[in-house]
Amino acid sequence: MTSLDLSTDRPARRHSLSLSIGLALVGLNVVVAILTLFWTPYDPLNASGGRLEAPSLLHWVGTDRLGRDYLTQIVIGARTALIVGTGAVAIGASIGVTLGILAAFATRLLDDVMAATLDILIAFPTLLLAMLVVAASDSASLWSAILALGLAISAIVARLTRILAKRVLRQDYIIASRTSGTSWLGVVVRHVLPNIWPTLSVNFALQFGLAVIAEASLSYLGLGAPPPNASWGRLLQEAQGTVYTAPVGAIAPGIALVALVIGMNLLADGLRDVGDPTRGRTR
Amino acid sequence: MMLNLQNVNFGYSRHRKVLTDVSFNIRAGASVGLVGESGSGKTTLLRLLLGLERPSSGTIRFGDEVLDPADGAFMRRYRRSVQPVFQDPYSSLDPRQKVLDIIAEPLQSLRIVGPRKDAVAQALEAVGLPLDAMQRYPHEFSGGQRQRIAIARAIVARPEIILADEAVSALDLSTRIRIVELFKTLSATLTLVFVSHDLGVVASLCEEMVILENGQVVESGQTRDILAAPQHPYTQRLLASIPRMPA
Amino acid sequence: MSALLSVQGLTVRAGGKTLVSNLSFSIGSGERMGLIGESGSGKSMTAMAVTGLLPANISVTGSIVLDGEEVVGAQDKHLNRLRGVATAVVFQEPLTALDPLMKIGKQIAEPVRRRLAREMGQAPRVAVDREVLDLLDKVALPQPQRIANAYPHEVSGGQRQRVAIAMALACRPKLLIADEPTTALDVTTQAEILKLLDGLVRETGMALLFISHDLPVVAEVVQRVMVLRDGIALEEGAVVDVFANPSHDYTQTLVDAARMFDEALGRTG
Ligand SMILES: Nc1ncnc2c1ncn2[C@@H]1O[C@H](COP(=O)(O)OP(=O)(O)OP(=O)(O)O)[C@@H](O)[C@H]1O
Ligand SMILES: Nc1ncnc2c1ncn2[C@@H]1O[C@H](COP(=O)(O)OP(=O)(O)OP(=O)(O)O)[C@@H](O)[C@H]1O
Ligand SMILES: [Mg+2]
Ligand SMILES: [Mg+2]
Repeated sequence: MTSLDLSTDRPARRHSLSLSIGLALVGLNVVVAILTLFWTPYDPLNASGGRLEAPSLLHWVGTDRLGRDYLTQIVIGARTALIVGTGAVAIGASIGVTLGILAAFATRLLDDVMAATLDILIAFPTLLLAMLVVAASDSASLWSAILALGLAISAIVARLTRILAKRVLRQDYIIASRTSGTSWLGVVVRHVLPNIWPTLSVNFALQFGLAVIAEASLSYLGLGAPPPNASWGRLLQEAQGTVYTAPVGAIAPGIALVALVIGMNLLADGLRDVGDPTRGRTR
Repeated sequence: MMLNLQNVNFGYSRHRKVLTDVSFNIRAGASVGLVGESGSGKTTLLRLLLGLERPSSGTIRFGDEVLDPADGAFMRRYRRSVQPVFQDPYSSLDPRQKVLDIIAEPLQSLRIVGPRKDAVAQALEAVGLPLDAMQRYPHEFSGGQRQRIAIARAIVARPEIILADEAVSALDLSTRIRIVELFKTLSATLTLVFVSHDLGVVASLCEEMVILENGQVVESGQTRDILAAPQHPYTQRLLASIPRMPA
Repeated sequence: MSALLSVQGLTVRAGGKTLVSNLSFSIGSGERMGLIGESGSGKSMTAMAVTGLLPANISVTGSIVLDGEEVVGAQDKHLNRLRGVATAVVFQEPLTALDPLMKIGKQIAEPVRRRLAREMGQAPRVAVDREVLDLLDKVALPQPQRIANAYPHEVSGGQRQRVAIAMALACRPKLLIADEPTTALDVTTQAEILKLLDGLVRETGMALLFISHDLPVVAEVVQRVMVLRDGIALEEGAVVDVFANPSHDYTQTLVDAARMFDEALGRTG
């Protein structure tokens, strides 16, 4: 007779681990980004040393082609990344959730049309969609990049929201709520959103990571925020020519980018179960 | 007359009729058992009475007003008077709400003033659940306990009419007796439409019964009379196939 | 011969409360056992423990051997193989077992396909479709074709319950766990389902763990019965003996209540 205890909460511990690592990585990024508003190691716009210096005590990750401190560029890049991620997800979430919920309520025909449109939109890669939007707006700026990415995300969010909300709307507690006199808006706020939130929030975190990567790619292609907004993508692009002579210039922003994206994914993973009262109910 | 159905016809799609020419009356304060085979249209009839669907022809009257789901002002008044209990207790409770919020929802939505927690506590007590249930979530309860939470929600706002869909079928007999007693006390002041396939419960709770077969009323009248001398072959078959306790 | 299911000293706890304590029973192939007790007595908990479906925050101790394999403490991967082959469950609330956005026919086709692939190495679509309709017909559903094409919310409560039964039977399990499988059914339909289960036990040697609060139904379906109260087994024995001469007061009250309802119908048992 075995006497094994199933409650060794192994899954729970794994989640709290990914949650803490995720929180640490993302938290570090946030702290650094806020810090740059008040203080940076050096002046980001002017040279503070020789050109392409190797890492030293004065310049921890060396200097760039114009002699500017490279660490300063990277920490400002952290700020850009956060602004882009947050902005794009905020836009994507507000448009996407609204559209998705409307589609879930819509009549059969309208719903089908919306679903098909979203499917087509999603078939385009986010980056391509963003490039089109940026190209359509006459000047490349941080804000047009954010808007572009936000729109691309909103299609993905809308499709997910629609499916999730439909599932919830078929439950009897929705009818019970209606027959209790709750308005449709009340039903959405009280029942639909809380029930779809866990899945949505995980998706938001994933989209955040994707937006950061997409912005870096846009910048890499020269379609992102123009200088003086330091962006990891542009740093990577600038480091391209000197990747053999000064490899740190390419590695450092790459590490920062990967750390943030992985941090956001771990956070998403950890968040999945937090605040879910039915956590662990497997059936 | 509390509720009156006149030649009500209904189908979810044009090709298939679910209810055909359903007519009957429900007096104020009556308790009416609605009995019929699975799929005979009992839940559908309750959906019509709740204003969730509209008859394709025929009328339903509440007092002397016509029940029209499109009439917002009427529906707001009507919702205050009518509360349902659903067939599937798990799906009728929001998994993310605490029991307190679930039961209090009618009070909140109907803007009924007064101490909410007390009303919820009373309702919980009436259905035989402990008060600490308030702070827990539906998944922490057994099937029968969830059913009682749903019943507590239906009675908390003191409606005039309760439309109960298999409200006691998930309950064991002793709990069922308790809930039937509760409904009996309530039905002194309340109109009760009680859908059930359990003739024993209907017999002990409802003075009147309506028997549906395939969306048609095949027999209706005093429960006692019908049970003593069922007229329609379907009713006879229904009575004959009830499993009994072994001697 | 060892039993198909053997439960020894099963104890289930959640958040400091003991929901099931020190339960032991066994079921052999072709045997039918009933679990009765009032609401909240731990019947569903026991069923879920047998399939290893309880969440991680509920602790299970003791031993559950199903088809020669230990369930308590086993990996989920391992259990997945047992589920659907050794055992299938009809859940108390059919709606929770069904995907609201998938047509009923498609949902039943999944276990059918898995089984055919396992047994014959392939699962041709026509064979799967035929078997799905056949299953729907077996559980006494009218118009199987229409039901197969409907979504779960488009059929009645009793029809949904029969769909859930069809889905469990699609696996052809060695042990069927049925948690209040006929609560939503009227007596005539219920009689057909009980006949179907009876036939399966006789023909295929399927074992049955039947959970119900409906004593007359239990008396009709099973041979042995176990009475639970507050997670404790009060008595166990042949169903006729237990109902005729309950050795425990609690069982007596259950039996009396059942007779009272019989009497409300103007009959004596
Ligand atoms: N996740 C949980 N956490 C804590 N307690 C729980 C949980 N799930 C169930 N319970 C409690 O366990 C007890 C047994 O529940 P179970 O579902 O086994 O009852 P049951 O015998 O199937 O009753 P019913 O006939 O009403 O379905 C109940 O008192 C219930 O409140
Ligand atoms: N939304 C729907 N769309 C199409 N058909 C439906 C829908 N809901 C129910 N039906 C069908 O209408 C008929 C009547 O269903 P209803 O739910 O009223 O039955 P019921 O008498 O409540 O049965 P049960 O006792 O099984 O709950 C059934 O044949 C069912 O399949
Ligand atoms: Mg029904
Ligand atoms: Mg149960």
